[in-house]
Amino acid sequence: MGEDWLIRASTVTKVFTTNGHGVLALEEVNLDLARGSFTSLIGPSGCGKSTLLRIIGGIETPSQGSVEHAGSARIAFVFQDHALFPWLTVLDNVAFGLKMAGVETGERNRRSQIWIERVGLAGFEKAFPNALSGGMRQRLSIARAFVTEPDILLMDEPMGALDEQTRLLIQEDLLRLWEETRKTVLLVTHSIDEAILLGDRVAVMSRRPGRIKANLDVPLERPRTLHNMTDPRFVALKDAILNDLHDEVMASMESR
Amino acid sequence: MTTSVSNSPINQELDRSALRARRLRHRDLALGVATPIVLLLIWQLASSTNLIDAKIFTPPSTIFSTAITLIKNGVLTHDLGITSLRLIVGFVIGGALGIAVGIALGIFRTLRAAFSPLFAALYAVPQIAVLPLLLVIFGIGETPKILTVAAVSFFVLEINAMAGVRSIDPQLLEAGRAYGAKGRRLFWHVLVPGSLPAVFTGLRVAAALALVVVTATEFVAANSGLGYLVWNSWQLFEPNQMYVGLITIALVGVILTGIIELIARKVMPWSRRSSHD
Repeated sequence: MGEDWLIRASTVTKVFTTNGHGVLALEEVNLDLARGSFTSLIGPSGCGKSTLLRIIGGIETPSQGSVEHAGSARIAFVFQDHALFPWLTVLDNVAFGLKMAGVETGERNRRSQIWIERVGLAGFEKAFPNALSGGMRQRLSIARAFVTEPDILLMDEPMGALDEQTRLLIQEDLLRLWEETRKTVLLVTHSIDEAILLGDRVAVMSRRPGRIKANLDVPLERPRTLHNMTDPRFVALKDAILNDLHDEVMASMESR
Repeated sequence: MTTSVSNSPINQELDRSALRARRLRHRDLALGVATPIVLLLIWQLASSTNLIDAKIFTPPSTIFSTAITLIKNGVLTHDLGITSLRLIVGFVIGGALGIAVGIALGIFRTLRAAFSPLFAALYAVPQIAVLPLLLVIFGIGETPKILTVAAVSFFVLEINAMAGVRSIDPQLLEAGRAYGAKGRRLFWHVLVPGSLPAVFTGLRVAAALALVVVTATEFVAANSGLGYLVWNSWQLFEPNQMYVGLITIALVGVILTGIIELIARKVMPWSRRSSHD
């Protein structure tokens, strides 16, 4: 893979212990994230893709193998269920990471305000998360991640809990934000469309124990829009991924 | 033909439905206030016409004048003061300790394993049943009365605070850590606010139980306080004084719960039902 990697997972293996016996979740996974690249990670459910993301993000430790950072890489997360703090207002939720980093009040509110506006939540600064719709919560959670100016953004099925229309809107938002900022992103998703539309590269994982089965470059120019989804190259890549995944899903059904 | 938006049939209908909703709200409020007043009037009428025994069911007007007398001669204010003191000192000490211990047990597995079963067993003993033992140890003074109030407050809050910490969504803890909150900052910015709703549930329950305990304690082991006033009125067969005592105890309960509710709204603005759609 490319030399200019920002984060590199080498031969990462993870064993979970449930009810006294071990389960091999990941087996010798290698994954490089190139600086400024958008990598989509897709695989059958239960293949360990979220676990890999958490290990790369340092909130879970690998049983074997290692995760290296090129220099000091600041990491931010977007979680599937948003994981917003219900006791903080929209503004304070966005500002949370900056507050923990010791940024003083005026500065962190100014920077948070910019991101609140960018994700279309202006006017809701003083609202609490329970007053927001699912789509608004996810935008809030995206703003909370971007505002910390991370080197790496890790997103764990961020659109998983959203309805189809909202999902499309947020995907467009993410495309726009990413093309403006060019963060290094790892996106875990179960949607092939989402993986191709947003990614520079799609990493396909095998069934458990998870391994990277294929690394496919997305041959679409940027900036992209939702209309890229009807591009013949998009459809061809989708077909290839479907084939890969189909084998894995069938095999995982049989082994059950 | 001119069509004015504000006079359109749809807007008129909207106005009418808003008016109807407001009228219903006012009616509900009026009913809530009127019902007790009507019941008091019936009571007054029934006892003054000897339909019910006025000696036992003292008419409200007599209760009211007894209350005035008891306030004027200082009996009621003195009893109210001493009961409030026992209640508040016990509640604050026991409650604060209970919150601190409960949160610690919620965080540290070792502590929880060591103390949680013990506390659960002790909580099962009615605190009031321990009063005689406390009287043996401390003698008849303020200490045993305050201690029983403190004990019940402690156990209720210990259990609720511990449950509060344990019930925090693990995703929120993870998000807190992922955004740089570790150690003391994780404690103040995630664990404490996350367990507040359960702590306030505990405070409401503990306040009610503490009032029961202080009253019962004053029945048997005091010669002052509202519980004593009620008990003593029975022994002297003075039902009118008894009613005054009972009503005052009820008022103390209402005010205490009201204060807790006010604080809860102040420190947990997010838990109020939002007016969103």
